[in-house]
Amino acid sequence: MGSPSIRPLIAYDAAAHRSQLAKMLGELIEANVTGEERRRDFDRLLTRVGVHVTDLGESVTMSFQGGHLFIQGGLAPDRALTIHGDSETVLMLGNVEIGFARTPNLLTGAGRELVWRMVQGRLRVEGVSGNLTALTQLTRIFSVHGQ
Amino acid sequence: MSYPAFSAEWADAFKDEINRSDGYRKAAKGWKWTVGLVVEAEPDHGFPETRGLVLDLFDGEARRVEPGSADAARACDFTISASYSRWKQVATKQLDAVRGMLSGKLKVRGNLPTIVRYTKASQELTNCTTRVPVAWPDD
Repeated sequence: MGSPSIRPLIAYDAAAHRSQLAKMLGELIEANVTGEERRRDFDRLLTRVGVHVTDLGESVTMSFQGGHLFIQGGLAPDRALTIHGDSETVLMLGNVEIGFARTPNLLTGAGRELVWRMVQGRLRVEGVSGNLTALTQLTRIFSVHGQ
Repeated sequence: MSYPAFSAEWADAFKDEINRSDGYRKAAKGWKWTVGLVVEAEPDHGFPETRGLVLDLFDGEARRVEPGSADAARACDFTISASYSRWKQVATKQLDAVRGMLSGKLKVRGNLPTIVRYTKASQELTNCTTRVPVAWPDD
């Protein structure tokens, strides 16, 4: 009897494997989901999210598969959410504090700055309507603050 | 007065610039790790040997900034490595540090959540380098 195959927490396609952007997003999520509550979010999340970094002209797609994440280079079809932002703004998404009832705090610090950047057009999120729960879970998984 | 790039004199001036920066002091509150910068050799640009720079940064203050070997820089809690030309681009505001990290032009090693938490501090640190007058060997 062969040993059971162990599916990695995060896998990359060839294009994402060459992408520093993909690696940083993957490594950040991998480090974050060592926390119990965020791991629960990660295990529940079933969605496909595109990230387009405007000043790099580079995109990746993250497919959350309930406890596993597959990252592809480029924007794959059937994305529920797509985030468009410059490098600084995309990294700032990881700095949103998680507040009351584990919801992203958009009133202070990075959260407030991101709202301002949305107004300015430096950050745009497609697909929010109908995917608010997934966006909230994603923000929690991505945030370096709190549990 | 300009300082030879990545020399001991440049490191002293960089340290003074960090300690003069209110922006850095605020953004780096709570930071308690060492940072090593590795400047990879580019003989074609007059930078023949790979060098390191060790920064002992603590709670918004630069306690020590000094040149050393690349190995000493790599032994720090966080290491950022790039070629001489890339560092020159950073120090002359042609390459934003965050963009450099996400594009892989600057190679970062260390705890990523901590780096993300202190993104603003890394940008302020970069701003400090841009205020130090440098004599570049290929200018």
